[in-house]
Amino acid sequence: MAEDGPVTITLSGTDGPESYAPVIEAFESENPNITVEYNQIPQGEYAATMLQRLKAKDTSIDVLTVDQPDVAQFAASGVLSDMSEYADQATDAFPADQYEVNFYGDKMWALPVWTSTAILFYNKDAFTKAGVPFPSSDPEEALTWEELRDTAEQVKTGAGIESGFTFENPASYGSVITMAASAGGGTGITGDDGLTADVDNDGWVKAMTWYAKLFEDGIAPRGTGQIGTDAYFAAGNSAFIASGPWSVGGYLPGGWAESSIDWGVAPFPYFEGGDRATWTGAWSWSYNPASEHKDAAKKFIEYASLNAEGNYKTVETTTIIPSNLEAAAKYFPDIQDQAGDHGAGLADILTYQNDNTALARPVTVGYVQFLTVMNSAVSDIVNGADPEARLGQAQTELEEALKGLQ
Amino acid sequence: MSSSSNNLGPALTRRPQAGRSQTSAARARRIAAVAFLAPAVVMLIIVRLLPAGDALFSGLFHYSLVAGQESWVGLQNYVDLFTSGRFWNSVGITLLFSIIINPLQIAIALALAVLFTQRMHGSVLWRSLVILPVAAPGAVSTIIWGVIYRPDGLANAFLGALGIPPQPYVISTGQALMSIIILLSWGGVGYWMMFLIAGINDVPRELHEAASLDGASAWRRFWRITFPLIRRPLAFVLVADTISNFLVFAPVQVLTQGGPQGSTNLLMFDIYERAYKLGDLNTANAEVVILIAITLVIVAVQFRLLRSSE
Repeated sequence: MAEDGPVTITLSGTDGPESYAPVIEAFESENPNITVEYNQIPQGEYAATMLQRLKAKDTSIDVLTVDQPDVAQFAASGVLSDMSEYADQATDAFPADQYEVNFYGDKMWALPVWTSTAILFYNKDAFTKAGVPFPSSDPEEALTWEELRDTAEQVKTGAGIESGFTFENPASYGSVITMAASAGGGTGITGDDGLTADVDNDGWVKAMTWYAKLFEDGIAPRGTGQIGTDAYFAAGNSAFIASGPWSVGGYLPGGWAESSIDWGVAPFPYFEGGDRATWTGAWSWSYNPASEHKDAAKKFIEYASLNAEGNYKTVETTTIIPSNLEAAAKYFPDIQDQAGDHGAGLADILTYQNDNTALARPVTVGYVQFLTVMNSAVSDIVNGADPEARLGQAQTELEEALKGLQ
Repeated sequence: MSSSSNNLGPALTRRPQAGRSQTSAARARRIAAVAFLAPAVVMLIIVRLLPAGDALFSGLFHYSLVAGQESWVGLQNYVDLFTSGRFWNSVGITLLFSIIINPLQIAIALALAVLFTQRMHGSVLWRSLVILPVAAPGAVSTIIWGVIYRPDGLANAFLGALGIPPQPYVISTGQALMSIIILLSWGGVGYWMMFLIAGINDVPRELHEAASLDGASAWRRFWRITFPLIRRPLAFVLVADTISNFLVFAPVQVLTQGGPQGSTNLLMFDIYERAYKLGDLNTANAEVVILIAITLVIVAVQFRLLRSSE
């Protein structure tokens, strides 16, 4: 380990390289002996690919980003490094959920870098054209899903646009988990060991039946996967899109889905009579136990996570919520400023939801398996499969898959 | 007698010499044979037999991620598979796929081979155009067809021009498997056609001329002369095509991920998903053993049918 001489370490993640360029540049200028190279791997393949490569002790991976629900399985597979030495510093630096999510079996395996929440974006031009009043940006006055459906339908018809509503990832578990939870169905995983599947209960069936009907009735679009729903919304084709803070930057001039329409933000919906639930948690960073440059790797993770300035650098391009409390305190007003008129109420929404409605994804060593089965089920439901039957099938598949881990 | 007995001495002394040189020649031939065979045998062992043995062995264990250790479970992985609805769906889909794609590809390949071996204008050009897609690697042709099958893609534009409403293709349970069969046949037909053209060109032209003089129709000449004489290349194509179609993976991985609703979950993809997405390498290995067994049985039946009708 020639840590005195110049070393090159790699960072592996799923985002475009521009997301990490500012933090890499700032880190390199503070540490002239360390060069960081970024490797992008497509999100759909990321967890499986990384597990495979890390199990094979691939030394070309130094620092890696880990989707927080995957920490347990990665740690159980022995492919993350024990980072418990940072636990004391981390308790003060991060909110409790962002601290705890990195633990598996009493050890800390990663440091949090990003967290998230859900935001409802709406197309102001289409609302105006349809003569429908804008939804409130007051964090306590979120629409119910039932109200959202009616509003979406009115705007779609009134403004003569293609769709009323879409999620950023319409066919993914991560999107619908909040709906199922709000309908009383929970996250889909129960039990102390997190290895009991529960995705065919009444809450899940209610939420997925409601969701399927949106597609069936033409309020939500099928098959936007090829162009991306962000671009679809930004071009004015939908009244609403539910996405995360990252889309704020995306829709702004120069963003990846630069918007040609005027848009605003509102708090994330919930089912009438149900609890409010918004997704939270995003990515932590750890390093490969087989890395040949562990010291440099640790230094980079410390900078991107524990160091407020470094953590803030990670959200300069991608507008996502920094996990570090000090960085987040600076970030909420900044992102609202950045969004200008579009972002009215944004800082309040982010703060309120983070404090009151955040619903963590299940912590289980079977998350990779769980996600594989559920993404395929949600995708089928979106494309017309009977929700109750398909959830029943997913339940059986999950029981089989989770049993395989024991 | 005496001379012969006198000659016996040298003959006796010569004979062992001849024997020695014969054995050494035989030995040299054996060594040469072994040397020539060795690379193939070594490769066969390394890339075929050892992995197959490893699959067989690994399929008898279970790795617990929770406990972090591997234990012997005997045939439990097979029991789990045989009681899994997902597995039987996958077997059913794979058999349905095979029953459609193999006869379809071979019938079209044979028809085109017969057509392109006729002495007609431009047949070489047409033949080249049909063979051309073979040059595109599986993943590339899949991506091309992915674009064709898009809701706003070429296929729907073509149907639209004919006044037919747009079709969902790979996102519909009813059309996804057929869409994959079509994209595989785009390359497959040309490939198998080449072997059949070679077979047809080996059929002596005089036989056709003689039959023509006797007044046999083209149809009759095909069934009575061409078909029986290309049985060997046809048998090869049948067996090789069947095996290759049991191992289809790329289009499923790229276009459908086994969906919608498991309608394209071919065994090869199911094995991949079990191994690398569901993280159960042991059961996936047991499934590999079953796939090999199914393939062997079907190929054995094909060989037997072809032999008995010879």
